[in-house]
Amino acid sequence: MKAGKSLGEILHGEVTEFDLKMALREYGFRVPRGLLIDAVPASIPINFPVVLKVSDPRILHKSELGGVSIGIGSHEALDAELSRMRKAFPGSHFLIEEMVTGGVEMIVGVSRNRDFGLSIMVGLGGIFTELYGDAAFRLLPIERQDAIDMIEGTTLGKFVEGFRGKFIDRESLVKFLLKVSGFAEECRDIIDQMDMNPVMASGKEITILDAKLIKINGTT
Amino acid sequence: MLDQFFSPRSIAIVGASSNPEKIGYAILKNLTSSGYSGSIYPVNPGSSEIMGLKTYTSMAQIPGPVDLTVIALPASKTPDEVRECVRLKVPYVIIIPGGFSETGEEGRILESRISRAIAGSGTRIIGPNTVGVYFPHTRVNTALTPPDRISFPPPGNIAFISQSGALGLLTMDSISEYGIGVSAFVNLGNKLDVNELEMINHFSADPNTGSIALYLESIESGRQFFDLIREVNRRKPIVVLKSGRSEASARAASLHTGAMASDDRVLNGALCQAGVARAFDETELLDYARVLAYAMPFSGNRIAVVTTAGGVGVISADLISSKINGIGLQMASLSAGTKQKIRESIVAFGTAENPIDLTADGSLESYDRVLSALETEPEVDAILAYALPQTPKMSMEIVDVVGKHINSGKPIVVGVIGSKLGKELLIEFERKKIAAFPSIHRSVKALKALHDYGKFMKERG
Repeated sequence: MKAGKSLGEILHGEVTEFDLKMALREYGFRVPRGLLIDAVPASIPINFPVVLKVSDPRILHKSELGGVSIGIGSHEALDAELSRMRKAFPGSHFLIEEMVTGGVEMIVGVSRNRDFGLSIMVGLGGIFTELYGDAAFRLLPIERQDAIDMIEGTTLGKFVEGFRGKFIDRESLVKFLLKVSGFAEECRDIIDQMDMNPVMASGKEITILDAKLIKINGTT
Repeated sequence: MLDQFFSPRSIAIVGASSNPEKIGYAILKNLTSSGYSGSIYPVNPGSSEIMGLKTYTSMAQIPGPVDLTVIALPASKTPDEVRECVRLKVPYVIIIPGGFSETGEEGRILESRISRAIAGSGTRIIGPNTVGVYFPHTRVNTALTPPDRISFPPPGNIAFISQSGALGLLTMDSISEYGIGVSAFVNLGNKLDVNELEMINHFSADPNTGSIALYLESIESGRQFFDLIREVNRRKPIVVLKSGRSEASARAASLHTGAMASDDRVLNGALCQAGVARAFDETELLDYARVLAYAMPFSGNRIAVVTTAGGVGVISADLISSKINGIGLQMASLSAGTKQKIRESIVAFGTAENPIDLTADGSLESYDRVLSALETEPEVDAILAYALPQTPKMSMEIVDVVGKHINSGKPIVVGVIGSKLGKELLIEFERKKIAAFPSIHRSVKALKALHDYGKFMKERG
């Protein structure tokens, strides 16, 4: 735990999802309320339903390994789920988070190109993101108009106009992308790749549900 | 800085030859027949005269200063010759032969010997492995192709920088057919010394250059390249054709973003960010460069189409307004007043709605009046005008009719369809620097390039 520290300090050493989210929260992003645990406490300061995730820097794609359990509705269910995960992931820590539902799933990321340096990506999220390739890239840092063009250049452009009850506030999304650009610029000596996936967008609320970082030196 | 390179007062050709099968022959022939007015010094130890020109046994024997040396010798003999150029303080050397880093380790060693030879000197290298350069304004032509095989374009406004020599020469041959001009052609070859960044910098300040067409197979200093094209493009439009799109990112990627960040996607984003038009083949490259050099950019979406052939009008309308298989702009809705003016100008069975169809009975006079009506129509942002001279009341004078309206405040892109008359018309439009294209598809896409540039400039200018 690295509470009360600067961005550089938080991202120093091994960075867990919890650490990265703390850094993102410090920077002004919205992330779910969360708690790192080894055992289920008598009471948790988060309302049910909750999400339980394995928190281990060695595990990059945790949902593919059964390391994410969503929609846990009660203390008892949480207890049972945690016992199961502890067996599956011995020696790991665990993260409980409030569950955020509804909205449009996006992927937002940063990656480094050997010729062009850091770039930002935004696209429609979900497990088929790579398949559809519905994403836009720009070099960092971006300007406001770049953020607008990125949104318009993907299917997200449909959601800022509203589509079948799903709506993302354009201005909030523009500000979010500019903030990602600012964050990445501030960590430009640290980041090799960063995934924020999924990012849940509903109206003006844009919440980073999961975030991963690979540093320049190849570590997480 | 490269001014002397583009306007050399004297050129030496090392390896000049009287044997028509040698490239040293073709280069000298191209230079002497291009009308170059400076001194030409053929260099060949075995000849005293080639093509009627006094020939020198070595660079050192040349009596006057040499601004540009063209080396047409085998790769293995090149480093020594470069060393001699450095000693004689020759500012620019074009190295024509291949057989350098593009072939392997031995070639790489030869290149590093050249690099060492010029280190710390004032001598700059273009190439190696280049087909040469062509500067029509100063009549410098050092191309290695036999003069009867290929046509060279007249002096014009497009600076054409190509990493591939053959593609460059072939493209110039193609556009020559329509009299499309270039301000300069440079084949950079292996880019041992001078690269595209310096060339772009030069052309950005060149008064003869209206736009820059770039064909690249590799981009070395990506970030510098981006910063430069973003800055230059605002003053002088740039079009980029980059091959190797399907190559995977060179880096293993473990996150989703990294996996999706192929070199091409990142480059595409960078070009969007810089407002630089992207072409996907040599035709688009020159089409976009031409429309951006000649026509007035516009930022609105509303296009008016004028035609004397109904089918041409409706196909254009489809291509303009469709997002899929089209450019995603809009067909303008004309105001009642404009429609009235058009109705009074065309035959009764013509169409005063957009696309405006004057029909096969359309005359030059009615075409003129329709363009006048559209000029003052606030609902129209740009005009796509088809010049189809095949019907009785039309003629080649359509060029003058369109020309009369070209500076009226509304951008005009011209479409031409046909063979003999069509080609003549395209040449005439080109002479007047009016952007005209030989198909519906190419006209519409050129219109989109002009729109995208205008929109970018409005948003960021």
